[in-house]
Amino acid sequence: MTSPLSILNASKSFAGKPAVKDVSFTVNPGEIIGFLGPNGAGKTTTLRMALGLIKPDSGSVSLFGHPPGAQAFGRIGFLPEERGLYKKQTAREAIAHLARLNGMKGKAAFRRADEMLDRYGLSDAKRKKNKDMSKGMAQKVQLLAAIAHDPEFYILDEPFSGLDPVNQQVLESIVREIASGGRTIIFSTHVMEHAERLCDRIILMSGGQKVFDGSTGDALSKAPRRLVIASDNAALGERLSPFAADMRRDESGAYHMVLEPNAETHNLLEACVAGGIKLTRFEPKPQSLHEAFVAMVGEDVTNEMQLGEDSLGVGGRV
Amino acid sequence: MSERLNIRRALLIARRDYLGYIKTWGFWISFFLPFIFGILAVVGSQLDLDFEPPRYEAVFDETGVHSRALIARYETRFNEREERAVLEIGKVALSEGDAAALEDIIKTGGAKAGKSFLNGKVPGLGDQVKLPERNLIFVDPPAADIDALKTFLAHEKTVKYKGEDVVLNGVLHIKAAAKNDSKNQDPAEQIAAVEVDYWSAQINAFELPNLAKSYFRDLAETRYLQSGQLSRDGLKESRDKALVFGAFNPAKISTGEGGQKVTQLDRMPYFVAGIMAMMLWLAVFSGAYMLLTSMLEEKLNKLLEMMLASTHFSEIIVGKLIGVAALTMTAMLPYLVIGIGGVIAIILFGDAETGSAIKQAFTWKMAVFFPLFLVLGYLFYGALFIAMGALAESMQDAQTITTPIVIVLTLCVLVVPMGIKNPDSAILIFASWFPLSAPFAAIARLPSDPPFWELALSAGFLALLSVGVIMLAGRVFRYGVLSGAGVKGAMAWIKRVIFRRKSA
Repeated sequence: MTSPLSILNASKSFAGKPAVKDVSFTVNPGEIIGFLGPNGAGKTTTLRMALGLIKPDSGSVSLFGHPPGAQAFGRIGFLPEERGLYKKQTAREAIAHLARLNGMKGKAAFRRADEMLDRYGLSDAKRKKNKDMSKGMAQKVQLLAAIAHDPEFYILDEPFSGLDPVNQQVLESIVREIASGGRTIIFSTHVMEHAERLCDRIILMSGGQKVFDGSTGDALSKAPRRLVIASDNAALGERLSPFAADMRRDESGAYHMVLEPNAETHNLLEACVAGGIKLTRFEPKPQSLHEAFVAMVGEDVTNEMQLGEDSLGVGGRV
Repeated sequence: MSERLNIRRALLIARRDYLGYIKTWGFWISFFLPFIFGILAVVGSQLDLDFEPPRYEAVFDETGVHSRALIARYETRFNEREERAVLEIGKVALSEGDAAALEDIIKTGGAKAGKSFLNGKVPGLGDQVKLPERNLIFVDPPAADIDALKTFLAHEKTVKYKGEDVVLNGVLHIKAAAKNDSKNQDPAEQIAAVEVDYWSAQINAFELPNLAKSYFRDLAETRYLQSGQLSRDGLKESRDKALVFGAFNPAKISTGEGGQKVTQLDRMPYFVAGIMAMMLWLAVFSGAYMLLTSMLEEKLNKLLEMMLASTHFSEIIVGKLIGVAALTMTAMLPYLVIGIGGVIAIILFGDAETGSAIKQAFTWKMAVFFPLFLVLGYLFYGALFIAMGALAESMQDAQTITTPIVIVLTLCVLVVPMGIKNPDSAILIFASWFPLSAPFAAIARLPSDPPFWELALSAGFLALLSVGVIMLAGRVFRYGVLSGAGVKGAMAWIKRVIFRRKSA
């Protein structure tokens, strides 16, 4: 099966300033890819190159095995980072218009628009003009417009940006539903939790370069492993120290430790048993993408991503 | 524009742009405005509404010599205005011969006789002529001194006119300036010895003061003429006899009594071409501006990016050009209906000579080149405005960028009157070749029958340039929309891409 998207050594500069440097990756059919990175990392530029909206200065892009163009029309659902609709169009007209541009027939497009609006709780907005809708409603309508034609490949640029938590949940469920149909999705986001929950694969960008590309499990494995361990036995600290890259003791006497990269928890447990230390608490902490990214790109860059996440709606466009 | 154009997608974009405007209240208000004004005008004329009621004024003439002559002068002028109104309609609707007959009838029988004559020639036409309203009604001074009259002017009292109480709006006070022992009651003799004051609470009312000024100025002239034993009537007669003016056109094919004399009907094609050129300008201007705003809206709300994931940019440009062209045509429909209806009505029901002159104005060259230049002019300016819209970042930006083009477009309209007055002017001929002004100038030149090859070549130039502009608009569009670049960025791009390419 042809790869929906393949980018090979793509670079792009604006006014002499490099935005994307030698980025390569291939999107496999059926994957859900989280495209992560702080502001200015080159995510939007890469996605625009992927769509053929801008040409790379060097390198190449292939959509469904061809250079971006008419062959891919109707097979892609694209949601741009910055949102907008025709102010005087109604929600169903907006959805049907884009669905028709993507190849659907007139009546079928309107039927599909009605069906989607009903399904995602926007029945009342069907004949409402876009200018009269709330920002959240308008964003949902635009997303529905991007996906109404049931494309094979979804490119969603910051789809969670600007949505309240309830609508973020709705969007997550939409993404899951699309994925369950075997469709391919790549979405850029600042919200690592979404990527963690939804993605099979993570591509991390920083400073215009790809710094990580692998499964979510691989990404998480880059994060330090944390453990909370406690005992009434005072010798616990001494037994733990060979396994700890970092360790501190809290007020209750429990040790919060970061395991050495090569340390194995079963060896640590064996050492405790051998020392006759009876554990009162043994609590491995789940790894997070945040920690993985700190490990990969450093605290500053990761915090920048977090900032972008907090100030929803601020795009990372280059 | 290299990839194959998908007409379905282009038409979908055209449909969206068309319906986007058509569904607004503003569009329908503008659409029906000519009809609404027409209906209001008809209703107004039927109801005989009086929007500017007449002013009741008095001439308080202490000398006792001027008031009657002054009022008579107003009556004469008013009658002349009525007669002119009838004659103007006759000149438009009747043949030259009938119009001359009407003039004679008006001279002897006044406006009323003129209306009857019009009714005889075109049934009902005379009745349709709306005569001017009387704006001054003279009443007798209600008091014998100016202080007492002031109480009337202050609306403390009213005066009687035909049994009704009316407000006195003004008083013209004519009084002896100095002691005048002259027994001569001739107004011309009295002029040197009067002072005239005008009293009114409405300080911007000039009708009666102006009438008085011209009356006394004429009296002064008459007095001066009399001092040389000359009469005013003699002066008028000598003026009228001084010159019999006739304009002749050697190129005119003489068919009747007038020979090669130039008539109003001979000028008809020039006026028709002028109107057509103005219509073309309006269509191009309004269409191009709609394209600009439509492009800007899509650029600013980022819908263009979504569209570009499913359409080629050339389809967007072509779709927009088609959609806005349809919209412009729809917006102009009322004017076209009224214009075409009027022309057909004149040809079918009006004077045969006028109808034939109008028919002559619509030559085959007009039939071919008007639509051709309309399409080319629209494409040229439309593509230019799309490119401008793609570069703009806001409405203010768009206004700044388009100002030079709007100035050029405005200057182009100046060639239209030139086409009527001086169709052989070198500037007009140049303008008909210069692509920016060619659509308007070429239409304005049509009545002077320029050679076919000139028109065809001018259209060819414009067509070539339009293709170039559309291609350039495509590149600017891609660059402006997709890079989010403004004017500064565009200039840098032109330097980088265009000049580098040239030097390569």
